[in-house]
Amino acid sequence: MGNKNDRRTFLKGIGFGSVLLSTMQYSLSANEENQKVDKSPHYGMVFDQNKCVGCTDCENACAEINLVPKGQKRLFVQDKTDQNHTDEKRYVRVSCQQCEEAPCVQACPTNASHRDSITNIVTMNADDCIGCKYCIVACPYDVRFINEETKAAENCNFCLNSNFKEGKKPACVEACKYTALVFGDLNDETSYINKLLRVKDSVRMKPGFGTKPSLRYIPIVKLGV
Amino acid sequence: MNESINFTVGFTEGIGWHWPIAVYLLLAGISGGALILALAIRFYKKQTENTAVYKSSALISCSTIMLGMVFLVADLEKPFVFWKILINYNFSSVMSIGVAAISVYIPLTCVIVIYAFEKEIKSLFGFLSPIIDLLKIVRSPLEGVTVFFAVIICAYTGFLISILVRFPMLNTAILPALFVVSGLSVGVASLSLVSHKLFKEDMHSGDMKILHKVEWPIMFVEVMFLSMLYVGLLVGGASGHVAIEGFHSGVWANVFWFGVVGIGFILPLVLNFALGKKMSNSLAVFYTSGLSSLVGVFCLRLFIVYAGQIFSV
Repeated sequence: MGNKNDRRTFLKGIGFGSVLLSTMQYSLSANEENQKVDKSPHYGMVFDQNKCVGCTDCENACAEINLVPKGQKRLFVQDKTDQNHTDEKRYVRVSCQQCEEAPCVQACPTNASHRDSITNIVTMNADDCIGCKYCIVACPYDVRFINEETKAAENCNFCLNSNFKEGKKPACVEACKYTALVFGDLNDETSYINKLLRVKDSVRMKPGFGTKPSLRYIPIVKLGV
Repeated sequence: MNESINFTVGFTEGIGWHWPIAVYLLLAGISGGALILALAIRFYKKQTENTAVYKSSALISCSTIMLGMVFLVADLEKPFVFWKILINYNFSSVMSIGVAAISVYIPLTCVIVIYAFEKEIKSLFGFLSPIIDLLKIVRSPLEGVTVFFAVIICAYTGFLISILVRFPMLNTAILPALFVVSGLSVGVASLSLVSHKLFKEDMHSGDMKILHKVEWPIMFVEVMFLSMLYVGLLVGGASGHVAIEGFHSGVWANVFWFGVVGIGFILPLVLNFALGKKMSNSLAVFYTSGLSSLVGVFCLRLFIVYAGQIFSV
């Protein structure tokens, strides 16, 4: 008796198991298809270290257009010049990396730090922010801050509430005289940013955190002699 | 780090979370730890009366968690809109989950207070008697639920900061466990002190003996978890080496070795075991070891919050 029952349950198990597996497989492949169809924008930016001269015009334009309080910054240009080789200037853009898997959005308890539903840009609803600073400590790049005037956390949102709304490029991109900054839709195959990324080697900042930043950096690389 | 391009400055200029958070973490630990222990004793000894330990746990858990809320709200940049956290929920956020848990937990601690001081409340506010009698019907199951939420409160404070990837000392799985155990440790201390001071419980009564006995295994597990945290960082590659500096340099290393290890572990051990039976049974040692345990865990929370954030990657 016991043996028969065991065999029956075993066969049943195989039956149910295979049904379960095939549905799981189907749902997984369905998800993949969905992603391919998805054409919502994914805005990104490229910083070309070879072109940046460290003039900080981008910093000033950003602060002015986004009404960032004096002394505070959404965007900062760090001088990373090696002190032993001061003739080889190196600058790096410090700003929100616009992660695809943004820890600030996951961490925010009030959904104030959120992804804009139309542009998919990580941005801030200052009214809903209670200033718990959880997003600030959750950010792997330490590029968020409390705006002294609004008392809300803030980040670079590609000028979503200023230039972007008027159909213009972000203030920093407009201000850069050396075209070190390129802004565009990474999901648009024909966009200039994609053309640039196809021919240039670019890297993501601290990719080990696994948050998939949308900012790409083209580092200065010496070609061998 | 060997990366082709990198930036090494941030916008917080120092640290984002300060001592009020450490105080809150301590208070949440005391609240949860005291309740877990008192209710465990109640279940274990099948008590039906309201013991001194039970009354103490009710007072401690309710007051510390409420005081903790004061610290949390005061630390906000916009304390007057704190209520927005109660109407906007984001269940991918540990803080949101914590808020949800707290808003169940605080009423539960209030109910425990009602149970514990049933007679007093009934004599003072007679009109509440029917409500209290109604609540008493579900007393045992509700106490069970309370233990569950007390564990959640202790553990969530660990998860709250263990998701912060920038700080290798915090970004470890051991933190929630460490916070539960150190919560139990301060739970023992606060229960003993309050039971004796406020409710005149005999230092050598049955309940107090249990508290005194479980104190040492709890401390042992706490030491073990701390060692695991240390070893985890030691073998944790480049980021671990950044964070382990927190144990060796700066003011917070002193807080750890003198506060957590010296006052929190060694002092109570010496007082209770090294100085003979007469000494360890004295009132002075009873109070000193209880207080040193509280100070030790407070130092641990401070150390975690500050050293954890300072030594970031």
